[in-house]
Order: sequence, then C-alpha cells, then structure tokens
Amino acid sequence: MMLRAMFVVLSLALAAACGDSRVAAGDAPPQPDAGPPDAGMPDAACFTNPQTYNEIINACTTAVKVFKDSHPALLNPDGTVPPLPGS
Amino acid sequence: MRPPRSIDSTSSMRLASLLALTLATVLPAHARAAPCKDLPNPIYLQVGDTQQNLMKRLGRALRDNKRPDGSANPITLVFVLNGSCTNITAIYAKVPLKGNLFYIPSIAEDVAGAPWKPSDAPLTCTVPDGATDPGVEVDIANSALFNSACRDDGPPATVQLTQGPVQAYVLAVPIASSQTAITFEEAYFVFGFGAAGMIAPWIDEAQLWVRKVTKSTLLAWARNLSIPADKFKGQKLEASTDVVNGLNLGNPAAIGILGAEVYDANRTTMKSLAYRAKGQYAAYYPDSSSSARDKQNVRDGHYTVWSPTIWMDRIDATTGAPTKVDARYVVDLIAGKTVTPAPSFSMIDVIAAVGLVPDCAMRVNRAVEGGPLTLYRPTESCTCKYESLAAPTATACAACSATMGCATGVCRNGLCEDH
Repeated sequence: MMLRAMFVVLSLALAAACGDSRVAAGDAPPQPDAGPPDAGMPDAACFTNPQTYNEIINACTTAVKVFKDSHPALLNPDGTVPPLPGS
Repeated sequence: MRPPRSIDSTSSMRLASLLALTLATVLPAHARAAPCKDLPNPIYLQVGDTQQNLMKRLGRALRDNKRPDGSANPITLVFVLNGSCTNITAIYAKVPLKGNLFYIPSIAEDVAGAPWKPSDAPLTCTVPDGATDPGVEVDIANSALFNSACRDDGPPATVQLTQGPVQAYVLAVPIASSQTAITFEEAYFVFGFGAAGMIAPWIDEAQLWVRKVTKSTLLAWARNLSIPADKFKGQKLEASTDVVNGLNLGNPAAIGILGAEVYDANRTTMKSLAYRAKGQYAAYYPDSSSSARDKQNVRDGHYTVWSPTIWMDRIDATTGAPTKVDARYVVDLIAGKTVTPAPSFSMIDVIAAVGLVPDCAMRVNRAVEGGPLTLYRPTESCTCKYESLAAPTATACAACSATMGCATGVCRNGLCEDH
C-alpha cells in the first residue's frame, strides 16, 4: 500500500507538471520531465512480488511505460465510466 | 449469440473465388486448383484469419516433414479462413467445406528459381461443391479466443478443445499519428459511445476500423472494454486486411483493432498504442517497447488484451480417441505438446515467427475472455528459447550444453531455463 501511495503522489506531481502522454525509457530516450526510471531499472512505484491481479498488472518491469494524463469528459465524478447509451 | 454464418460464408467464398481467379492467372498449370483429396494426407481446417501466417509457416513445414529416421511424413494443411464463432459452429454442427480451399506447396512443388515464401499467397485446391456433393468435414477448427465468448454451450461429445498459443490484440493508428497510448476509459468511450464519447482525435466513427461480431478481434476487445459486441461502434469489417487498408488511408482520426501478428506484419505503415487497463498505473505495449517483438508484456501480464487460441478436433464420443490421428498430431504440435514421431522442424520457431506466444513462455493465465490474470507456471518453461527467437539481443538467459551445465535451472535447447 505504501508503494501505491508513493506512486499516486508521484503521478499527481507529474500530471501537474507535464502534458499528455509521456514515455518512460526502454529503448526510447528518457524524457527529462517524465520522472519514471530508465530501462533496466526497477520502478519505485511497483510490486516486486506480484500475487493478485492488481499487483500483476502493476508489477515492476524493465519495459517501456507510457504515462497518460487522461480526463474523459463523460467520466463519472468518482472516476468510473457511465453506462453505454441506450443501456 | 449465434453468428450470422451465411454472411461470413458468402464473403469468404467471394474472397476465395477472387483469390482463385488471381492465382489462376499467375500460377503455372501444375499449381492450379488440384483436387484437395489428392494432396498428401490432407487435414481440413477452418481457422481465424489471424491464424493465416501460422497456417502458412506450419503448412510449409508439414509438407516437408520427416520422421527421425529420415523417412517422409508429410501432412497437407488444407484450410479456409473465417471468423472464430463461425469456425466453432462449423465443427460443432459438422458444416461441410466445399469449393476452393487453401494449401501450402512443398519444396518439390516450388517453381524453379522462385521458392514459395510465407509472404506469398497460398495455393488452392478444390472440393466438389455441387448441390449433391457432400463436401468434406472440418477436421480442425480454430477459435482465436475462448469459445465461451462466442456461445454459452460447451462442445459436443465428439469434439475436443485444446488450448494453443496466446494471441494478443492491439489498437493501431496510422504511423503518422501523434498518439502513443490509450486508457481503458478512453477506449470505452471511443468504441462504446463513438463521436459522443468526445475522445479526440477519435471522434469520427467512419474512422473506427473494427470487425464483425463473429470475429475474435472484436469479441476480445469488447470483453476487455466491457462493451457488448453488438454495441461496438465503428465500421464492421469482414477481414483484418480491411482494417489494415482503412488505417493505411492515414487519417489522423483513424484507429483500428487488429491481432498483434497482423499488426506485426504491417509495422511500417502503422503503430500500436500502448494500452492502460482499468486499475493500471501506466500503459504498455504488447512488447517491451514499441519497436520490440518480444511480447514481454503479454507474457508477464502488463499487457492485458490477449486470448488463448483454441483448437478443436474430432474424437470418438465413447473412447475419447481422436478420429483422425494426423489431426490430433497437428493440434498437439500447435499446443506445444510432445508428439510422436517428432517433427523435423522446431514448432516453437514457427510460433515465435508468427507473433504468437507459446503456453510454455507465459507467466500469467486467465480463465475467461477478458477476465482477471493469475500467475501461471507452465510444466516446462521455454521462456529462454522463446526470447532467443523473439528478442535474441535482449535475452539474459545463459547458454548451456552437455559439458557446460547451468548455475541454476535446467538446460533445455542449449539455454538455461528456470524450470
């Protein structure tokens, strides 16, 4: 949980400072304002021993990560998606 | 949710006829539509169009297959392409194949100086298709996703299901697009609401290149995005090539759904978007980067839009024994099982070459289409072997041999696998 809290704080800080999509290294050059780690370095906001689904999809990895600050207009206030039209 | 089979069949027949006409004009007489039954050990398959590359490479290898003693053991894959749901119905309900079907030539059939390549079209053979002709039964059918995504009922007692390699699905945009990623929420609005979803630049429904509701590509994305397949917005296209053609028009508002192996074959004109699943902190490509081909994120669970391919063959309802031994041989080969006699080629080489991921290289699994991922440990790992093929310069696996063992793990195929 602590790792997750750290990630949320880091993400919010980055979202405020940066624009839309930011690619975190791998074979791409690191972005100065992106914050995330270089290729081959474990991510600070990740799970090192994933067991659950949420941990698996957020496990530490050397793969390129793309952070996207997205705020769809139709998103519910709590961050969930509304039902489809006609549902 | 029964598929509109007649529509698919009509379109497929039209495509097959067009291809046959084209081939007839360019191929030498000896290569023209021979009777399928005259080919060596024909096995009849009805597979998804995402599996065409697998049919080509495996078909070629099996035509020239040899036993360990060097004697010939050829099998001819005679196949037709159609939607996954249609394919399931074909083997469950014994819908016969008729007309022009595809197959891959052996080396001996090659035109001198111009050996057949996987980028070439398959050849055609014919099954009599008169009104009173019975056609041929499908020996093997393929679904490129869980069968339960197509229909609720299980297979009849005469059909066995075998899980094969994993197939990833991507959202692709024209190569010149400024977009690099899409979130679950954005994709939900794009394909569930269309223009009303207001997710720029994807606000033109004529530029949403999708597939028909019997196709695994659409069904897989629909399940992952929690959108009923029949409510998916966009142009419902028959074939993956139609999606490729739509994207290649280059409109900045274009976005399309494709099997990863179809995308892999078209990387020069399009790019896949990194995808951030619901609850995920970052978006990921199927591969470890936009330029890699290692399917690392599929294998370890960072990329969530994938399905197992399902291979169906016929069995005796009483004994459970396969009714066609060569059909089971092919299914077991595709599924990565040990077969007897051993083939004269490496099946994992074929799987890796077409962008699929063998079960033995997966570290996550799921039980239903679009369902949650769980950790997975295959009986015998082939991660190192797979990476040596898909990412030869990036793999961290140590080499080994009969005289040079592994510090940890098991020596297999000259590489130290973890188990």
